[in-house]
Amino acid sequence: MHWFLQSDFFYSFRNAPVAVASFFVFAVIILAAVFANFIAPNNPFDPASLNLMNGFTPPLQSNEFTGDVFLLGADDQGRDLFSTILYGLRISLFVGIMAVMLAMVMGVVLGLIAGYLGGWLDTFIMRFADIQMTFPSILVAMLIYGVAKGVLPPDLRYEMSIAVLIISIGLSEWVPFARTVRGLTLVEKEKEYITAAKMIGLRKSQIMSRHILPNVLGPVLVIATITFALAIIAEATLSFLGVGVPTTKPSLGTLIRIGQDFLFSGEWWILLFPALTLLALALSINLFGDWLRDTLNPKLK
Amino acid sequence: MLIIVLRRLLQAVMVLLFVALISFLIFRYVGNPVESLLGQEATVAQRAALEEALGLKDPIYEQYADFVLRALQFDFGNSYRGALPVAELIALRLPATLELAMTSAIFAVIFGVITGIYTAINRGGFIANLILSTSLVGVSLPTFLIGVLLIWVFSVELNWLPSFGRGEVVELGWWTTGFLTASGVKSLILPSITLGLYQMTLIMRLTRAEMLEVLRQDYIRLAVALGQSKRQVYFFHALPNILIPVITITGLQLGSVIAFAIITETVFQWPGVGLLFINAVYFVDIPVMSAYLLLVGFAFVVINLVVDLLYLLIDPRLRDGQLKRGAD
Amino acid sequence: MSGNREMVAPLLEISRLSVVLDKRHQRFKAVDDLSFRVFPGEILGLVGESGAGKSMTGCAILGLIEPPLSISSGEITFDGVRIDQDASSIRGSKISMIFQDPLVSLNPLRKIGDQLVEVIRTHINISKAEAFGRAKTLLAEVGIDPGRINAYPHTFSGGMRQRVVIALALAPEPALIIADEPTTALDVSVQAQILDLLKRLCRERGTSIILITHDMGVISETTDRVAVLYAGRLAEIGKTSAVLKNPRHPYTKGLVAATPRIDANSFEKRLFQIPGAMPDLENIPKGCAFHPRCDFASTQCQKQQPPLFEDRSACWLSNEGSETS
Ligand SMILES: Nc1ncnc2c1ncn2[C@@H]1O[C@H](COP(=O)(O)OP(=O)(O)OP(=O)(O)O)[C@@H](O)[C@H]1O
Ligand code: SF4
Ligand SMILES: [Mg+2]
Repeated sequence: MHWFLQSDFFYSFRNAPVAVASFFVFAVIILAAVFANFIAPNNPFDPASLNLMNGFTPPLQSNEFTGDVFLLGADDQGRDLFSTILYGLRISLFVGIMAVMLAMVMGVVLGLIAGYLGGWLDTFIMRFADIQMTFPSILVAMLIYGVAKGVLPPDLRYEMSIAVLIISIGLSEWVPFARTVRGLTLVEKEKEYITAAKMIGLRKSQIMSRHILPNVLGPVLVIATITFALAIIAEATLSFLGVGVPTTKPSLGTLIRIGQDFLFSGEWWILLFPALTLLALALSINLFGDWLRDTLNPKLK
Repeated sequence: MLIIVLRRLLQAVMVLLFVALISFLIFRYVGNPVESLLGQEATVAQRAALEEALGLKDPIYEQYADFVLRALQFDFGNSYRGALPVAELIALRLPATLELAMTSAIFAVIFGVITGIYTAINRGGFIANLILSTSLVGVSLPTFLIGVLLIWVFSVELNWLPSFGRGEVVELGWWTTGFLTASGVKSLILPSITLGLYQMTLIMRLTRAEMLEVLRQDYIRLAVALGQSKRQVYFFHALPNILIPVITITGLQLGSVIAFAIITETVFQWPGVGLLFINAVYFVDIPVMSAYLLLVGFAFVVINLVVDLLYLLIDPRLRDGQLKRGAD
Repeated sequence: MSGNREMVAPLLEISRLSVVLDKRHQRFKAVDDLSFRVFPGEILGLVGESGAGKSMTGCAILGLIEPPLSISSGEITFDGVRIDQDASSIRGSKISMIFQDPLVSLNPLRKIGDQLVEVIRTHINISKAEAFGRAKTLLAEVGIDPGRINAYPHTFSGGMRQRVVIALALAPEPALIIADEPTTALDVSVQAQILDLLKRLCRERGTSIILITHDMGVISETTDRVAVLYAGRLAEIGKTSAVLKNPRHPYTKGLVAATPRIDANSFEKRLFQIPGAMPDLENIPKGCAFHPRCDFASTQCQKQQPPLFEDRSACWLSNEGSETS
């Protein structure tokens, strides 16, 4: 810990107020999501705890029938908005993290293979990546989502929504990882210690995982942060469009979709608070990611 | 020159064939082609006959060739829902999407380039910094949120602009346009801003970065040393040089604009192809999805091609085949 | 000779110019109390190792110094007019500049003719067609086929491009051209041609040149007078022939000795090198900036900065009567 506090990295962090602020906001959001079941007044995913009479209660006012008061108001089904946002955040973050993991593992493995083995495999992977990259990832994610739903038997479609969502977003974001890892691998594999490793007879897979992999992890982490923000936005977008998480387990996107429906009737809080949360989340990750990228790896710019 | 163009054309065709392959695989193996053609009420005999006629037992490459040939004649099968030909559905909705995409692209380019140049020239100025930090928030905001917030302000609170639909449209042959009626134009405003804002920020940041980069070049220093005015330096020397990357990105963004139209169209219930697609995803309407993929793939490839050719027109070095583009 | 020069009014006069670099709370002198004059029609060489402040001096004359650098004191007078506060009236029109690398000195996306016309019309009020005519004449003068007026820069070789740049610099018919290492980026074989061209055209027009270089060979072949810069200060100045034959400042001696000469017996001698390197801005030594590298350094040299003696050399040794070597 001490060495970390003394490091250049920490020094430049301390001296970047934007980075500190965004990290702080991000940390608060993460903690709130992780400890949702302790913080949230009630569990919005539990139908038993809901009272439809509470529907549309404005923030900090008591409901005319039940007398209940909600910090951020209640949505159409009487769910406490504050609790719903916390639980929704959980889903958004979960989907985001899992999708990034998937993209990262896939991208790193394919990038290593393409870079280290080269040949037709390299050509194939990178060509495929090029073509995929011509399409925006959100479109790719939608397509994969649609196809995956088509492949699944209809009775499983609803249950598997979240898994399908993770796979769609994950598969749509692997390319930047693969490209970077491939580039770094190409540089790394020319170095002498790799030649030495080959001479002592290490297998290709060993060289890739023990020698090259550790050297490409830094940039991969930077990309992962940025991808994390993208994945969260993708999740929110898909859920907003109604092709994401199921409505019984609303994520931030779903909540915003519900909020939009009630804008005209004046229930603004259903929209505002989830929107602000999503904005804070996306902005803090983006700002922190920008700073991280500039600090760790000026080349990535 | 001709050889470069031909090579680019060939590349474009290869990419299209690849996209078509994926589209075909989806159509053939995820969906049910027989159902898509006949609708769900067909009899067993009809199905068998059609399977034979469609050649579903043929070798796969023949089926693929067949699929491509039919796609070339705009035959994408029937939608699972309503059993209408997919091509007809798309044709009906294409004008709405294209008008939206065009308007927002033009909006994005004009404002993006202007603010980009402004923030580069007035680097460190108060307004420039304000624009830049606002743009940072802009890039972080998901498109749909921008749309919803615009609706909130301009439709709900101020009641100035419509929040959904295209307004009144005029038919010009098979094309329908919203440009000719007041309500049509009004309806275009919010969706165009929503769709164009992200691209605008991108174009602005790019223009700014390029401008700053170009202003560091020796030929700019020379121009300044030779007493040329700021106006000359910016417009005679710098602008053509930033135009190349800006055109590329803008062009490449056009594809994204069409794709992101899905989101905007959903927010504003804009009756375009994007809305058609998202409904297809929702109802797992495979033929529509497969056709949309082909359509968007086609749009992307054509756009990339046009951008590359424009590049050739603008940069004399490329025209002579002297330099290779970094991206290739 | 020097008496003669006093009678002619100098075209450009730089007196006690200092350019400083502000870095956090410190101030470093990139150009330190520099004075020299340029007379009409002459070619003045500005020589020194990399980082001596040669380019900075050139930029200061044209008013191209930008933060964090600034002119902290001194005056620059052109034709009797102060230009150190605002050089826009003479920039391009009276004084123009040529940079080191012709490959990047021309806008790649503009035809050379258009670039010439743009410069001409900035300073001379004539029609586009007339400007085109002039551009063609200029191209012919610098040895480029006027028929190529509509060609793009990338179709020319480096030497040809530098000719175009010279045409650009001459286009507004300036009285002074600052040429900042105009041939450093070129092939050795082309260097002499370009220098000859520049020299000839300026002689024809009576245009003065400040020729920045670190090549003593170029100095000896091209310039009338030479100013030797060291760490932002003037080390020695004088007629080129006199300075080269009889350098008074130990630094100039070193530079001269380090110049390869193609005469019969120099082949046996090992090329001399001044030991050590020039200090960077932030570590300029006290006293004479050259003292750590100087064979003749005394304690006085370490403490006191020498003034310019006899309008010639800033070295304490020059004070002790002319030392002939
Ligand atoms: N923008 C700047 N910021 C900080 N220091 C600078 C800047 N520009 C120049 N310097 C410093 O000022 C000093 C003089 O630079 P100048 O370019 O005039 O040298 P020069 O004599 O032309 O050298 P060269 O032969 O390399 O062109 C150098 O030490 C340089 O590092
Ligand atoms: S002043 Fe002293 S240190 Fe400087 S050059 Fe002359 S002798 Fe050498
Ligand atoms: Mg220089």
